[in-house]
Parts: sequence; C-alpha cells; structure tokens
Amino acid sequence: MKSQFLGLYSREILRTFRNPLVLLLTLVQPFMWLAFFGSAWQHVAQQVPSFGGVNYIAFLLPGVLSTSMLSVGMFGAMSTIQDKRFGFMKRILITPTTKEVIFLSKTLGSATRGLVQIPIMILAAALWGVNFTHVSALDWAAWAVMLFFLAMGFSSLFLAVTAPSTDWQTPAVLANFVTMPFMFASAALVPTPGFPSWMKLLSDLNPITYSALLGRSFVLGSAVPWNYLGIIVGFGIIGLGIGYFVSARWLRVE
Amino acid sequence: MASTDAIEIHDVSKRYGHGEHSVLALNHISLSIPKGTVFGLLGPNGAGKTTIIKILTGISPLTEGSASVAGFDVRRESLKVRARIGWVAAEVILDDDFSGWENLQLQARLQDLVDWEERANELLAYFELSDRKADRVSTYSTGMRKKLEIALALLHQPMVIFMDEPTIGLDVGTRRMLWDIVTGIHREFGVTVLLTTHYIEEADALCDRIAIIDQGKIIADGTPQELKARVKADIVELTLSDGTDAEAIGRLPGVQECRSQGTGWILRVDSSEEFLPRLLSAVPADRLRRISVEKPSLETVFLQLTGRRMAQAESIRDIRKFYQQMKRLRL
Repeated sequence: MKSQFLGLYSREILRTFRNPLVLLLTLVQPFMWLAFFGSAWQHVAQQVPSFGGVNYIAFLLPGVLSTSMLSVGMFGAMSTIQDKRFGFMKRILITPTTKEVIFLSKTLGSATRGLVQIPIMILAAALWGVNFTHVSALDWAAWAVMLFFLAMGFSSLFLAVTAPSTDWQTPAVLANFVTMPFMFASAALVPTPGFPSWMKLLSDLNPITYSALLGRSFVLGSAVPWNYLGIIVGFGIIGLGIGYFVSARWLRVE
Repeated sequence: MASTDAIEIHDVSKRYGHGEHSVLALNHISLSIPKGTVFGLLGPNGAGKTTIIKILTGISPLTEGSASVAGFDVRRESLKVRARIGWVAAEVILDDDFSGWENLQLQARLQDLVDWEERANELLAYFELSDRKADRVSTYSTGMRKKLEIALALLHQPMVIFMDEPTIGLDVGTRRMLWDIVTGIHREFGVTVLLTTHYIEEADALCDRIAIIDQGKIIADGTPQELKARVKADIVELTLSDGTDAEAIGRLPGVQECRSQGTGWILRVDSSEEFLPRLLSAVPADRLRRISVEKPSLETVFLQLTGRRMAQAESIRDIRKFYQQMKRLRL
C-alpha cells in the first residue's frame, strides 16, 4: 500500500512540474488576484473604515490563498475524471491497488500542489510592500498547516462528488457554480460585519472565512484566533473521511 | 479448480442496469482456459468479449456464477488476482508526460515490486526500447507505445495477460508486429494470454484455442482446427444471370444446402473441387456472373453456427441500438 501510494502521489506532483504552462498558470492565477483586484481596491479599502485602514494587499493575501485551495481541490477532482476517461484509472485498478489508495494519493497530491503557491504569493505580496517581519516561525507553520488541511478538505469533498461519475461537464459547471458563493460569502475579500444576515450565515459556515481570518491575523499582527485552526483541521479531517468513504464504495472506473 | 487451468469461468451471467431497460451482456457462460495457452475470444462487437475481461480483471462485478483467475476467486480475492495478471488495453494507455522508464517505475510501484529494475531492463531490451527509455512516451511511435504497454503488463511476471482487441485501429505492419510479439512473449515468458478479437484471421493466426461468442453466449470452443473440422462443407457463393434455374443447381450431387442471399446464392457443398466441374457442365458459363469458393475457416464456422457472417452481425443498426441502450443506462 505504501509503495502504491508513493507511486500515485509522486505521479500527481511530478505531473504538475512536467507541464510548464500548467505550472506557470497555477502560480500566476492567484498572483493576478493580488495584482488586479488588490491594486484596484487598494484606494477604496483605505477610505472604508471597516477595513481598518490597512494595506489592502496584506488584507487580501490570506483570502486569495484560501480560495486558491478551493481551486486546487477542484483541479484534483477534474484530473480524476480525466484519468477515468483516458482509461488510466482502469490501468491502476488492474493492479493490487485499492480505491482508498487512489483517493488518498489524489487528495494529498492536490493539497501538496496547493502548498507550492504559498511562497510565490508571499514573495509577490512582499514586493507589493506587505511587511512580514513580525510573522513568527510558529505563525508560518500554523498558516501552512491550515492551508494544507483546507486544500485537503476541499479536494476530498470534490473527489467524493466526482468519484461515482465519469461525466466531465457536471463537475466543471459545479466548480464554476460554487466558486462565487465560496469566495464572496466569506471573509476572503472584504470584512464580513457589513454583510446582510443571510450572507453572514453563509460566511459563518464557510471554511474560507476562518482560514482568511486566521491568516489575516498573522499578516496584520493582530490577536490570533487559534480556535480557527481547529475548525479548519476539523474540516480537513471530516472532508477526508467523507471522501474516503465515498471513494471506497462508489469510485467508478469508467 | 484444476491446477492446470489459468482461468475458470462457471455459469457466469452479467446484466447491466435493472428492470426493463437492462441488458444481458453475458448469458450463463462457462469456460476453462488451460495454463500456457493463447486463448482467443472471437465474436462481433457487442458480443460480450470485453465484459468477460472486465469481470476477470475485477473491473466489473459478475451478476451470477463464479470465476477464478490463477486459482483465486475474482470477487472474493480480487487483490490476489490483480497481483497475478497483466492487462493490455485496446487503446494504448500510458502517461504521455513521463518517460518509458518512469511508466515502468509507476507500474512497479502499483504492483508493489522490489528489485524490478533488472527485469525492466530485460523487457526494454526484448522490445528494443532500451535506447529510448529516458524519452517521453509522447515522442514514441504507435508500435513503440504498444510494446511499452506490453512490457508494463509483463513487469511483475504475471500468470495471465489480458489483451482486449490488441490490434484494433493498427495499420497492417504494426498488427503483424503485434502478432509476432504475442507469439514471442508466450514462448519466451510462458504466460497465458487471453485475447479478444473480432478479426477472424487474427484468432486463427495467434490462438491455440478459441471460443466463439455471440450475443452473450459461447456458441463453440476448441482449437482452430477442431472448429474448422466442424464445418464439413465448402461454401460456394454464386451470382447468376436473370432467369437461370438456381433450383436445378441446388439439386446437383454433393450440394448440402442452397439458399438465396441478396442477389446471389450461397451453397454448402461436400467438396468444391468436385462440385465446380458439375456446376460448369450444368450451367452455361455465360450465365455465371460471379463464383467464389471458401474453404472451411472460422468465418464459415461462425456462418454455420449463427446463420450470419461476422460483418453482418456488426451491422450499424445493431451497434447504434447497443450504444443507445448503453447511454440510457449511463454505462
């Protein structure tokens, strides 16, 4: 089982690096959020009191990193559909490899790919004048762990949705459909206190909110809500459990 | 299970879907495939050949009956079965972004092998791929890709290799090469090969034993020679000018059966060598617009058993109907 996991996990990671364009776009996409969205809203944010007069790029960075983990999760699930359509899933399953191992290698592969974005984004934000000197080693580690669990949770849940199917259209449409509520009904881009009550409720149920707020506390040097780390780790573990259960029973090969 | 059998299929049925829209893909089939044979499942598209492979490789569960591969039950001991089989797909399935060697490495990990490198190098040398092993598979020719796929299937020294329509879509040259490979690996590695094909000449050229399958049932099995010996007749097809008395031809000595098909006639005769002189003396030569003679072949076996030629069994209408049904069932 260890050897099979290693084989499939390294396939997931290596595949990203084998296609330079995919790698470049994966890295540049969140970067563009900072560049375009961040720059455009910088002056607005500074005039709105609820932003607290902070550098908007610093405010935005943890939110964009969090939503990137959502995209990473979706991409992992879509690549599973590809593997089924090209017959690769069948090739894997006509070896003593279990469906559970396939699921674990996919979801952990996606989560690891998500981590690659973090240093690039931090570097980009630093170039935009965000100051990270007060962020301690513990903060950095906690932030990375949290993002890993967030990516793992999303990736697992998307895999649970795509496991029983070979249809590529529905997951693609679904991915587009859920991006907007996950991104906007959260603390990723703006402070939530001004939200209407129904949106506030969605935001409170959205793991991206907790991830963005915790990350923001590290960047802005404010009081750290450590319990949010527990929420995200819990989300990751529950997501993993659901994905594992669904994949083991209903992962379809073709 | 007898220890000499690599594959044992006992009264297996497979139904896709439920209720009135369900399709019975396999209808109570039984088969024993001895170790060390090249066994062919021959039949038209949609006959159920691929379904048999899916059941034996653990991809699809059987509905009724039991089956074992390498001595292990395909349902209860699926992982043990999968550690002892290799699979070559109809379409080549490889990781194009990886090198030949990396594809072998992944296969070794999936098969949980240690010390596989020497075996991998031997296989690469056997398939003449050694000097290209570091190149990405996307740069390989079709023939090279097919060879690499077979090398992957052989890496863990399997007892049985499944080849599903191994030469479909290949040009004549590559097909010949593949035939040589199948014969070669069988001789060199002593592996049992179960292949499906709807090419009659392929089954005849490659297989020690053949099962002819049609509409989910095995209608005959044996060596190609045994099967051909069942057809104790040559087939003569005639196209005659209008107004010729075909009934009279049917009454000539040595004619077992005479029936019309389209614009012509199909006759089963004891011996075409004896029949043709009789025919030419009974019918003026200018009345005969076309004559073709067919000695016993697997095609005539299929014709005798089903009343249809293999190509007719694959008529467009049937295939369309089959796919529509499959689509409805979302299979």
